[in-house]
Amino acid sequence: MFGSTLFIISALLTLGGAFMVVASKNLVHACVFLLASLFGVAGLYATLGADFLAAIQLVVYAGGVVILMLFAIMLTGGSQDLSNKYGLNKIPGMGSVRTYIAGGLSALVISLVVLKILANVIKSAQVGELPEFTTTVEKIGTMLLTDHILAFEISSILLLGALIGAAVISRPRKG
Amino acid sequence: MNSVVSYFSQTEGYQAIVKTLSELLGFDATSLVAFIVFGAVVTIVVTVLATIGGLGTYAERKISADLQMRQGPNRVGPFGILQFLADGVKMILKEDIVPRQADRFLFNISPLLCLLGVFASLAVVPFSSGFTLVNLNVGIIYLLGVASIVGIGIFLGGYSSNSKWSMLGGMRGASQIISYEIPVTLSILAAVVIVGGLSFGAATEAQGGLPHQWLIFHNPFTFIAFFVLFIGSLAEANRAPFDLPEAESELVSGYHTEFTGMKFAFFALAEYIEVFVLCGVASALFLGGYKVPFDLGTGAIFSEKLGLHPMLAKNIGQLLQLGAFFTKALLLYYVVIWIRWTLPRLRVDHLMVLCWKYLTPIALFNLVGVAVWMYAFDGQSFFALIAKMGAAAGGHH
Repeated sequence: MFGSTLFIISALLTLGGAFMVVASKNLVHACVFLLASLFGVAGLYATLGADFLAAIQLVVYAGGVVILMLFAIMLTGGSQDLSNKYGLNKIPGMGSVRTYIAGGLSALVISLVVLKILANVIKSAQVGELPEFTTTVEKIGTMLLTDHILAFEISSILLLGALIGAAVISRPRKG
Repeated sequence: MNSVVSYFSQTEGYQAIVKTLSELLGFDATSLVAFIVFGAVVTIVVTVLATIGGLGTYAERKISADLQMRQGPNRVGPFGILQFLADGVKMILKEDIVPRQADRFLFNISPLLCLLGVFASLAVVPFSSGFTLVNLNVGIIYLLGVASIVGIGIFLGGYSSNSKWSMLGGMRGASQIISYEIPVTLSILAAVVIVGGLSFGAATEAQGGLPHQWLIFHNPFTFIAFFVLFIGSLAEANRAPFDLPEAESELVSGYHTEFTGMKFAFFALAEYIEVFVLCGVASALFLGGYKVPFDLGTGAIFSEKLGLHPMLAKNIGQLLQLGAFFTKALLLYYVVIWIRWTLPRLRVDHLMVLCWKYLTPIALFNLVGVAVWMYAFDGQSFFALIAKMGAAAGGHH
């Protein structure tokens, strides 16, 4: 009962936010709707019992990525008039008829492929209750530092490289 | 996952209500009653915290008046304590002005985003062992995540009002908040390493009621980590000496220059409640949170010695815990206001230098230091080691 309510709210937030992102003409508005959509995704993770993933989704995307996107948009500057001197749409919205048709068709094709792959699972699956909620933090921590230590370390070195690279690029050159 | 509902469900009255409702409605009413109880408690928490936010504005004026040898508000109510209600009435009656060139949609939602982030963070603040709305397993990360919505609200507020002052304030706010999140998170992680859990309940339960059992005095590194966390919290809540986003001597009023009436009040309210939440978090992680000395908080002692009903004894213990938590948080709140009226404002580049060249490296080395301490001394605190050495020295005689 509670789980399905949470699922419906998060799913509506995700889909509605995603639709508004492509439908809105203003880039900053799109960013705010993206925030709502990412919140919905965090809610979906929470419904599935992945509490750690949901919280990290909040921190990384809602806290970091959206703010950085807003910042980047702000630094590029904006234009008030939407059409150029020939009366053409300078910033076409992402949600035009063409993009909706293309998006819908590709979604159809992808879902058919995925359904074909999952067909056996869906046919044989028993409808049942979700298992009792257990925290995933400890399991993820143990797995990251035992079985997946190589991937964990490689990704942290990648991030460190990106950090140093950003510092080097943004440093004012002498002379 | 235990929430405030699981505390109330221990009482007999709760079970009786569930039973009566189940018979009356013809289905199992457990979740319905849980939902209603939770809703009622959420309403209480939000109302109390909004009042604390309102009284925060009063405290700010009164304390600043004390520091500057003035009277402060003293007309409305005894000692002027109802001043914040008068301010609220004034704010509601003000005309709601939206600048003509403003981005209407963002202009309207940015105060709400600020309040949303602050109220969402109240869900995991550990007021007492029973009276925590939800004791999430990932409470600390959750709080860091939702607290950053406040930053988005400030930024959008500055952007949408189409004013250069607001814009500068909003950009300063955003850069300041994302920068200071790093030392704050690293210092919180220092506490997490010792506690071994990401929930505020676990963090508080790992400490004791007396100061030598608090995490701040666990080892030298946590002592530094607390101060890094406190300084970073000041910057995240845009409090002086880091109130650059609303620096009134340069930017009129910063990101909320163009806001009027209740929208302006929402920004102010969000700021004051956020300060309280951050003080509460600092006290829960490093100052023992709701822990009462001598285990009075569990209430076992009242039922044993005084012969009280176990539930009544538990309730008394909870009240003591609430008292301990609010005392610590409000003392920190006082320090925050005290700092605001003592220190001058930093310059923007000094602010960034302080964050990236001092606080971040200090927090990073602190984290490593705490990990080394945990490994070298088997997780024992400084005072436990001294007591052990004393016992060992005493054994030779």
